[in-house]
Amino acid sequence: MPSMIHIDKVTRQYSRGGETLTVLDELDLDIEEGGFYALMGPSGSGKTTLLNLIGGLDQPDGGQVLVDGVDIHDLDGADLSAWRSENVGFVFQGFNLIPVLTARENVTLPLLLTPLSRRQRQQHALTALQLVGLSDRSEHRPDQLSGGQEQRVAIARAVVTDPKVILADEPTGDLDRQSADSVLDLLVRLNREMNKTIVMVTHDPLAAQHATQIVHMDKGKLGQIEARKTVEA
Amino acid sequence: MPIRLVWKQLWRHKLRFLLTVASLSVAIFLLCILRSLVVTLDAGVRASTTHRLIVQSAVSLFVNLPEAYESKIRQVDGVDTCAKMQWFGGYYKEQANFFAQFAIDPESWLACYPEVEILEGSLKTFLTSRQHCLVGIRTAEKYGFQVGQTVPITGTIFPRVDQKPWEFVIAGIYRATSPNVDNANLLFHFDRLRETLLSKEATGPPGSGVFVVRCRPDSDPVQVMADIDALFAGGPQRVQATPEGEFQAQFVTMVGNVPFFVSSIGGGVLAAIVLAVLNTMLMYGREQTRDVGILKSLGFNDRIVFAVLLSQSMILCLAGGAIGIGLAVVTATPMQNLLGTAFPNYQVSEQVLGSAVLLTFGIGLFAGLMPALSASRLKVIDTLRRGI
Repeated sequence: MPSMIHIDKVTRQYSRGGETLTVLDELDLDIEEGGFYALMGPSGSGKTTLLNLIGGLDQPDGGQVLVDGVDIHDLDGADLSAWRSENVGFVFQGFNLIPVLTARENVTLPLLLTPLSRRQRQQHALTALQLVGLSDRSEHRPDQLSGGQEQRVAIARAVVTDPKVILADEPTGDLDRQSADSVLDLLVRLNREMNKTIVMVTHDPLAAQHATQIVHMDKGKLGQIEARKTVEA
Repeated sequence: MPIRLVWKQLWRHKLRFLLTVASLSVAIFLLCILRSLVVTLDAGVRASTTHRLIVQSAVSLFVNLPEAYESKIRQVDGVDTCAKMQWFGGYYKEQANFFAQFAIDPESWLACYPEVEILEGSLKTFLTSRQHCLVGIRTAEKYGFQVGQTVPITGTIFPRVDQKPWEFVIAGIYRATSPNVDNANLLFHFDRLRETLLSKEATGPPGSGVFVVRCRPDSDPVQVMADIDALFAGGPQRVQATPEGEFQAQFVTMVGNVPFFVSSIGGGVLAAIVLAVLNTMLMYGREQTRDVGILKSLGFNDRIVFAVLLSQSMILCLAGGAIGIGLAVVTATPMQNLLGTAFPNYQVSEQVLGSAVLLTFGIGLFAGLMPALSASRLKVIDTLRRGI
């Protein structure tokens, strides 16, 4: 499989209280196209920082991050935003839906950056909601949905622009087991049926079992990479 | 730009939105009124012509000049016509029913003020009958006066000895096309005033309060004023000739520096509302920090985020401004009646409305700029620290 994400000697440091913390230390990693990677490790191991760098939300202090051949940190603010809207879908632990908008409106948001007509945007949003099994909840606001439903709306929003990469940070962290399984099954389907490359940060070994590769991290360095036969969706 | 999001963010706190819009409406309404008062005060001065002069006593406006001065003034080179004009200072039925009355030389006064036109009735009747008067359209409308009606006016400066009011029959109703002539006046014959005083039927100071002078178009008004002043420099009473605009301006300053006072209140109102809207927008901005992070993570760039916040401020202010301006327009006539003779030409002009629109935009921009800039500069990872 060709590499979708190529991370080459990436370093990220933070200054805190006059002290420099190295969160990522010359880290190398290749993520194959169509792969489902789980990043695991203790708190402070650099998982979320790595995810931020892949999504262009943060800048490395050294090294390169290539996504589908593009060195994303060569892009300036507006170009990086445009690249992000076309290539990456985010799924957050806290769902991060906009509370004043309905599920349909939340899913439609990323489509406002595309040349699609209003009607096409509505159709795409409803299709995405159908995909996550929430077409009957399209006019509900986030506070009228359960946690599991909110996360599925967030996944619909992440895939509605058909990005190549989905980045998920603890997507099941705030969910009960049943809802978590439902969300993980959905991610597996997206990976298998739609060939999305998924990078998921998790502390949960059961969640990690859904990935094809488990990448262990510790103190900003890469540990063991474990190839897995995933659980059935 | 996600317009729906802009609106829903504003509507997120309905009460706050409505109260802020209401505050803005009241402030813009007040500013329109205050500005209109200043413009009204200034309108008479600005509309005055430089070729019309007012001759008054050099001692005080309240000292009358001898009637004989009229013929002498007429002989000054450059003077086209001259008319006596005396403040009567009476009231209609009750003291609260006050409007200005003047005793004038009808023909020469009307020659001085060609902008006065007769809407109803007969000018000829007025010119030929000393019992008749002209009434301005505003006073006629306010009291429902009709041509032919007798108007009783109780004199305060010129009270009748028999304690009865003076009676004037309305010959016509006039309207001036320029704001330097009040449309609320009652004008009657100076000769009648003089004769009544001479016959001892009424008491009061003799002479004329001022003379209105119209200069010939080819004359130099400054030279005419100097010549008139020089003519009476040796007495018996010295005079002061001034352009009509300057004379009008005296009245504005007589009641204190009203424009400054009114403008100061307006400035206070403006400062208060700008701070109130800024505070509201900062609250909106702070509450949307997480939402800004979400938008940015979805690919919305800094300029769009800036526009989202600024639009909220603009919508808030334009809604309040539109209501305030609408109120000012709708209440213009009731305000005119309420202000009565204090501001007889009160109107909400296009200039005032234009200023209010600009002000509304200005407040919107000012209040929205800071939260919009802050939002556009936010880093996604800072705003979504609890998420990605």
